[in-house]
Amino acid sequence: MRPTHRPLLLAAATLLTAGALSACGGGSGDDPDTVKISYKQSTDNEIRVMDTYLADIKKQFEKANPGKKVKLVPIKAPDAEYYTKLQQMLRSPKTAPDLVYEDTFLINSDITSGYLKPLDPYLAKWKDWDQFIDTAKTAAKAADGKTYGVPDGTDTRGLWFSRSIFEKAGLPADWQPKNWDEILDAARTIKKKVPGVTPLNVYTGKPVGEAASMQGFEMLAYGTGEDPLYDPEAKKWVTGSKGFKDSLAFVETVFKEKLGPDVSDALDPNFPTRVRGELLPEDKLGINLDGSWLPQDWGEGAGHEWPEWSKKLGLAHMPTQAGQAPGKVSMSGGWTWAIPSKADNPDLAFTFIETMQTKANAKKWYVANSGIAVREDVAADPSYVKAQPGIEFFTDLVASTHYRPAYPAYPKVSTAIQEAMESVTTGDASVADAARGYDEEVESATDGEVIEK
Amino acid sequence: MTTAPPAGPGGVVKTPRGPDLPPPARRSAPRARRGLLRALPVSPAVVLLALFMAGPIGYCAYIAFTDLQLTGQAESSFIGFDNFREAFGDERFLNAVWLTLVFTVLSSLIGQNTLGLALASLMRRASKPVRTVTGAVVITAWVLPEVVAGFLLYAFFRREGTLNAVLDFLHLPSQNWMFTLPILAVSFANVWRGTAFSMLVYSAALNEIPKEITEAAEVDGAGGWRRMWHITLPMIRRSIGTNLMLNTLQTLSVFGLIWVMTRGGPGNRSQTLPLFMYEQAFQKSMIGYGTAVALLLLVVGSLFSLVYMRLLRTEV
Amino acid sequence: MPVTKSAGGARAPRTPRSRRRKHRLAADAGLLVVAAAFVLPLAWVVLSSVDPKADLRVRLPDSLTLDNYDKVLTPEITFTPLLNSFLLCGGGTLLTVVCSALAAYPLSRYRSRLNRPFMLTILFATSLPITAIMVPVYALFVQVDLIDTMQGTIFFFAASQLPFAIWLMKNFMDGVPKELEEAAWTDGASSFQSLLRIVLPLMGPGVAVVTVFSFVMMWGNFFVPFMLLLTPEQMPASVSINDFFGNKGTVVYGQLAAFSLLYSTPVILLYVLISRRLGGGFALGGAVKG
Repeated sequence: MRPTHRPLLLAAATLLTAGALSACGGGSGDDPDTVKISYKQSTDNEIRVMDTYLADIKKQFEKANPGKKVKLVPIKAPDAEYYTKLQQMLRSPKTAPDLVYEDTFLINSDITSGYLKPLDPYLAKWKDWDQFIDTAKTAAKAADGKTYGVPDGTDTRGLWFSRSIFEKAGLPADWQPKNWDEILDAARTIKKKVPGVTPLNVYTGKPVGEAASMQGFEMLAYGTGEDPLYDPEAKKWVTGSKGFKDSLAFVETVFKEKLGPDVSDALDPNFPTRVRGELLPEDKLGINLDGSWLPQDWGEGAGHEWPEWSKKLGLAHMPTQAGQAPGKVSMSGGWTWAIPSKADNPDLAFTFIETMQTKANAKKWYVANSGIAVREDVAADPSYVKAQPGIEFFTDLVASTHYRPAYPAYPKVSTAIQEAMESVTTGDASVADAARGYDEEVESATDGEVIEK
Repeated sequence: MTTAPPAGPGGVVKTPRGPDLPPPARRSAPRARRGLLRALPVSPAVVLLALFMAGPIGYCAYIAFTDLQLTGQAESSFIGFDNFREAFGDERFLNAVWLTLVFTVLSSLIGQNTLGLALASLMRRASKPVRTVTGAVVITAWVLPEVVAGFLLYAFFRREGTLNAVLDFLHLPSQNWMFTLPILAVSFANVWRGTAFSMLVYSAALNEIPKEITEAAEVDGAGGWRRMWHITLPMIRRSIGTNLMLNTLQTLSVFGLIWVMTRGGPGNRSQTLPLFMYEQAFQKSMIGYGTAVALLLLVVGSLFSLVYMRLLRTEV
Repeated sequence: MPVTKSAGGARAPRTPRSRRRKHRLAADAGLLVVAAAFVLPLAWVVLSSVDPKADLRVRLPDSLTLDNYDKVLTPEITFTPLLNSFLLCGGGTLLTVVCSALAAYPLSRYRSRLNRPFMLTILFATSLPITAIMVPVYALFVQVDLIDTMQGTIFFFAASQLPFAIWLMKNFMDGVPKELEEAAWTDGASSFQSLLRIVLPLMGPGVAVVTVFSFVMMWGNFFVPFMLLLTPEQMPASVSINDFFGNKGTVVYGQLAAFSLLYSTPVILLYVLISRRLGGGFALGGAVKG
């Protein structure tokens, strides 16, 4: 071999190796003047409510803080996949944004993992924090007593029904079921008298994720008695309860009698998007057990404009199982803004939170998002209460609402609920089998911290 | 496109290796140094493979014995064989193993392999335009990106999709394939997407069988099936083996196709091992457990691979 | 009767022509049935992409439109993801081809007691289910800070294609007679020179097959970028298509079809090009057998 060519070969080899190694050492090299913000973008390409709102705040922020930039990093995925992507991003300093949109049910789990930063030092100096109602302040408070997120509103849940379908079925326009059976009866009537529509939707199964657990299952379970999932006194998760099985049986009935959507539709991760974008506006769904935020898609410029929805849809609160006191059920959750522990620019990120939470901006968001205000000043503002039909109805439900036992193990318990629901929905398992499966799953997910009822 | 004669490369594999050449003018270099120099060009590949294949596999073997979680955990710890014990007692894992088996046997062993061989042998007898058209269609399905293939077959099998339209037209009972028999639907999808590879391998192999042999058998009055069984198949034995191996292992790791079509559902009716692994690791946040499943999948893959290599006594 | 290869000419006088023809008709019919089944999904995508009212069924559109293409030809939906795909797959393919050609050379040319175990390992690695190691690769990439980087993904792509590429490359290289090199060596050329100037040009078709095969595999791969990249703007088309259209509920099927075609075109063109030149499929099929 002629010596001149050895270097060439060597060079090629070292270059490749060096490339591989240098790539490993490549730091994140983030710009100290840029706040990176991750949030959930609707999978419906027409819906850009949050994008529009954040773009507006970004403009305000950049104007008020010259030289600082905001980079929006939308994550477009169905709910369940959004959480996965977010956690993947939070694990590495390279990908961790400066500000993330976190669902309250997951926040304790992510706090335990050390993904988030306590905000107490910032909150102490922030006067607007006093405007937040107490439940909101505790929404993102961890077991260590520190607060990790600023909630941007809360929500409640109830029954939405189509007035035109009800009229065709001969059901009352001011429908208010007093127990579960009355809901099923109404659905049966619709099935009989109005062919071609889905009588009743109850979210179910893993693909729709937390929507199934909260809008679907827990709205039922919390109407069967006290603490169907978690016993706060014993500090243990509940297994084997009758309320659990009754709730599963309700789901089973809905799908067995074909009162619900076609099972393959119900098990599509984007079914919630379809309900809001298609089924309700097109009068194809009789009764929908869903959240207070639905009108956000129907506002002006929101994508599926439907200003007359309040005339087309009726609202009823969800009754308890047999009408027992207090007669109605609601669940509340909500989302918070949180700062990852691996964020590069936490201070700037908190400044962005402050910009979002001026009274005017907070109100704008509550209205755009059909959220329920968690700030006293906004809640008392008549222009907020009047801004949208429905706000009053859903705000009243706050009095009788329940919160999820959002402990670190909750996400796994929630998945176990979804699996139990899914197996009775498809008919793969009986109620008893599905409940047993749930009990086993919960026991292993919580390391045996369970109490049988 | 497949009608071209088996040009050069098709035949090269069998070229017997001649005696190794003496290395060019290098008598002065000591043996060890010479060996090292010769091995040098292999090093970029080795480095890449070591860092990005062997590394992860080793890491896999480590994480599989921990309880690492994506969320809800302060620190992970070493838990020995717990993940594996859990897997074998987990109905959903066993369900995934069973579905993987069904998927592999249906779509790879039976579907792609048999259909590929059938197509290749029919092509030898068919007229040129038909051969070209069929080849083009089958290969297009293969070249298409995985996700696109997933969408196309999703549309095909959906309740309101083409398959049911065809069945209605033929007055056959239609049904919601993705719901009632999702594993069958994804298996067909995999056949649709993967048959071309087998077809190409078998076309090349069949073309190497000397015409005289088949003709002689024909003259002796051996029927089509007997010729296939007694002459053709034994002669392409090695191709069958290699093809089966590559197909099976390729099928074992199909993820995107099923993800796009069914995401493993409904229920867990089409959740093969890769989807189960993903669900456990990320959707249920149990990275440790998911990795243990991954390790099992790797072991199964390796066993398959070793068995085939043994059977073929591959000469390399 | 048109003379085709398979008809085998008239050299078999004892076989009646009619039987031949019957065989051929049967073969034609069989192939056409399979082709018809295979073509239906393809027909759907082509027809839907120009159908203003596309749904899930194959049918002839009442009117033609290019609106679907117009709607998806935006930076967000089409251009950025396709560019990312080109960067990822181009980089990965380049790395694969260079490394595999270099590695194949000594394996094909020199005898060493390491060759056999090495090739067996390669063959073994070829068949490992890559999907299985994606979870640990993700965890590892987080540890070494390669997560969400193009170069990390490129390296992994290359590593995952390398075993097969080396194996193909070596098989092709074995087919280039050594005598040709001997002459060059006598003239004082180095091994590297003879690889570059003699061996590689002679095995052009082989290199082309490895290139195209690697590229096609990477272009269509969903799981690898899905796991290793997180920032939306870095996503290649294989993942972005799922983000944009994975929501089958509200999806506009015409646009999905149009995008699918745009995204598939490069690999189809590449394949057509190469098979025109050298009967590409055959070359691969030939190199693959035992």
